[in-house]
Amino acid sequence: MRKNKLGSRIIAFTFLLILAIIWVVPLIWGIVTSFKSEAEFSTIGFKFLPINWVLTNYTELLVNNASTPLFHWFANSMIISVSNTVLVLIVVSLSAFAYDRLQFKGKNALFYFLLATMMFPSVVNIIPLYKIIDLLGWVNTKWAMIVPGAAGVFNIFLVRQFMSNIPISFDEAARMDGASDFTIFRKIILPLTKPVLYVVALFTFTGSWNDFLWPSIVFNDIDKMPITPGLQLLQGMYQSQPTLLMAGAFIAIVPTFILYLFAQKYFLQSMSLSAGVKG
Amino acid sequence: MDAQVEKNNIKHVKKDRHLTPWLFVAPHLIIFAIFFLIPVIFGIYISFTNWDLMGSPKFIGLANYKELLFDNSSVFYEQLRTGLKNTFLFVVISVPFCIIVPLLMALALNVKPKLGKFFQALFYLPSLFAISAVVIIWNLMFNVAYGPINNIFHLKTVWTGTQPYAWIAIVVVTIWWTIGGNMIIYQAALNGISKDYYEAAEIDGATPTQQFFKITLPSIRSQILYTVVMTTIAQFNIYGQPLMLTNGGPDSSTSVLLMYIQQNAFGSGQSIAGIASAMAIILGICIMIVSAIQFVFLRDNSR
Repeated sequence: MRKNKLGSRIIAFTFLLILAIIWVVPLIWGIVTSFKSEAEFSTIGFKFLPINWVLTNYTELLVNNASTPLFHWFANSMIISVSNTVLVLIVVSLSAFAYDRLQFKGKNALFYFLLATMMFPSVVNIIPLYKIIDLLGWVNTKWAMIVPGAAGVFNIFLVRQFMSNIPISFDEAARMDGASDFTIFRKIILPLTKPVLYVVALFTFTGSWNDFLWPSIVFNDIDKMPITPGLQLLQGMYQSQPTLLMAGAFIAIVPTFILYLFAQKYFLQSMSLSAGVKG
Repeated sequence: MDAQVEKNNIKHVKKDRHLTPWLFVAPHLIIFAIFFLIPVIFGIYISFTNWDLMGSPKFIGLANYKELLFDNSSVFYEQLRTGLKNTFLFVVISVPFCIIVPLLMALALNVKPKLGKFFQALFYLPSLFAISAVVIIWNLMFNVAYGPINNIFHLKTVWTGTQPYAWIAIVVVTIWWTIGGNMIIYQAALNGISKDYYEAAEIDGATPTQQFFKITLPSIRSQILYTVVMTTIAQFNIYGQPLMLTNGGPDSSTSVLLMYIQQNAFGSGQSIAGIASAMAIILGICIMIVSAIQFVFLRDNSR
């Protein structure tokens, strides 16, 4: 039986190693290609690594900021994603607290109604949502991406589920001491809810950063758009300069990559968290 | 008198306590109403109009749906057929891979091989990247002259410009980009199965295959159901991969419905938001029907 186990470990390792090559090659290839010069890339023939490592692709992106202001897009994306995350955290934690801890008329009916709307395919509301953004004067502004994302229900469900495991006696003790609902929320519940709020924050940030269809609809002003629709423009503009495109793509994935390095634990546990409450 | 004041105070406090919960939920409810509920209702309504996104919508009853579903001289009829066919084709090809590949990964990781943590982190990583960055990288991977795939295997395949390679490219990119989440879900589920079951099965002489189908699969059934439904919904919304990898080609063979919806509503030229909305609602109905069917077939009947 021991031998059997060792055998299955070797098979598993080999299988994973083959897949790992498929997963890692595009990443490495993309990154190293961004350090090749255009001339070397198109004339020398296929070489995996650069002969001369150069930064020209990055400097060209930095300098050439009229038609494809990549670093501008990067800043726009950063402002949008951070603001959206902060707004979602505030809105979600307040709501989750009320649905879990407070009593009000029609609470359960309202909550189940919200949950039921999650079944509704979001594709239906893209066109009318654009009109609402237009009426608010938010086309080509960051608001178009910051606010609508806070309408979601799933995070409220997730956080409420987590809050329901905090003993109610904590609240009661504080209430005896004369604490208001808001104080209980702020001083007792919120600190204990931190782990799930990290998860919400990470997923909101990456979701916001990576959103593609919606920003390509609400932005047509090149200076105002975030980086994901920007990259599509970049691809159209520099079809003949793949090394430059790689530099652009690499810049766009750096923030979420860094976030992942530091908060891998939360990313990985969150997936099982969300499947767990649903399953 | 004092008692009266006291009573009033209590009443006042009580009234306050009725109001505060609403203050907590109000920010979300307002945003939810303006940016979800109203658009959804409005979206259903405009599918019955000839709206052009700017003027005021004029009610035309079922005309959009009639044209889309039955008028075979209409360009939109063709678009719906092509778009829906390609979207369904993509769902049918990609969803099994997006379930089976991460399940195999999770099973392999579950025997705790060397470098397990590294493999897990690596497979999950691409799901954190924007689709436009992912496609830019893979476009070059598939490049005819310069791409590593053709160069390493000495091929001359025109990946994104000929079929069936265009679909293969789109599905490969999709698998690479999206399977991380499902893998983590399966890992957690596999971890939760008691070792006793397997030991008992081994004593009874069950083969590994039997163990997989009799113990493993039934134990993670609810996670399979969840991932199948969620993955299917996600893949129905395919947009970025064909848009940037193949631009719908060759010959509209990878043009998916969301591309037509986007073009008709927001593309250059006159907006035809009414028709586009009707297309979106037809897509939405397809998604709901398929989810419902999956739910009925995959849910655990024994419980």
